[in-house]
Amino acid sequence: MDDPLIVVALVLVAVSATAAVAVRDPARQALVLAVLGTVLAVLFTVLQAPDVALSQLAVGSALTPLLIMLSVRKVRRPQRKKEADR
Amino acid sequence: MNGWTVAATATLAAGVGAAAWGVATGPLRRRVVAQNLSTSLACPALLLLSEGYDRPSYVDLALLLALLGPVGTLVFARLLAEDLAADPPRAWGLTYAVAGFGGVVVIAVCVAAGPGRALVKLLVVGALLIGGNLTASRALSGGFAGSRRG
Repeated sequence: MDDPLIVVALVLVAVSATAAVAVRDPARQALVLAVLGTVLAVLFTVLQAPDVALSQLAVGSALTPLLIMLSVRKVRRPQRKKEADR
Repeated sequence: MNGWTVAATATLAAGVGAAAWGVATGPLRRRVVAQNLSTSLACPALLLLSEGYDRPSYVDLALLLALLGPVGTLVFARLLAEDLAADPPRAWGLTYAVAGFGGVVVIAVCVAAGPGRALVKLLVVGALLIGGNLTASRALSGGFAGSRRG
């Protein structure tokens, strides 16, 4: 009965997941991943699984981007230090 | 389908779809703004869905997203501060438009819910949504430059 809603949510997930793979820079990938987490939570809600959507929101919209951005920062810092030493 | 789910479908297709396109293409300043707006558009959509399915407990999802969405954006604002300082994002018209849309949705859902505890919860969600959205936008555009260190 809610077919258009499910189709819209599925298309959004497919588009943002494809974009997350296609984008190359890790910092920008983290931005797309944050959007993908939010859209996935909406899809779970539409499919009547609010408990899954709650955990997906907690993990996908804040924790995953934080972990990725912290690792990117950690990897980039030694490179900048080396460039400064030269 | 009823009017609420139709409105939620339109919000998802037009709003979140545009945000997904904005976050996948263009310069970094547009991507961070699109990421911020995607959470503040998905939150009204979840409110509309909870009203459309007639399940008041689904409001918890919108509450969590209103709380965690700005947190996620603040993570990007803090860790991308060096990249954004040279080319700060300025999209205040769009930000206020989305905040106004969130306010309209919260008021509509409040009117449908009627007085009671649910109304208080919806008002908290609305305050968190609009306040968090504006705070995160200000942080992205370098409004809290004095607090940046390290």
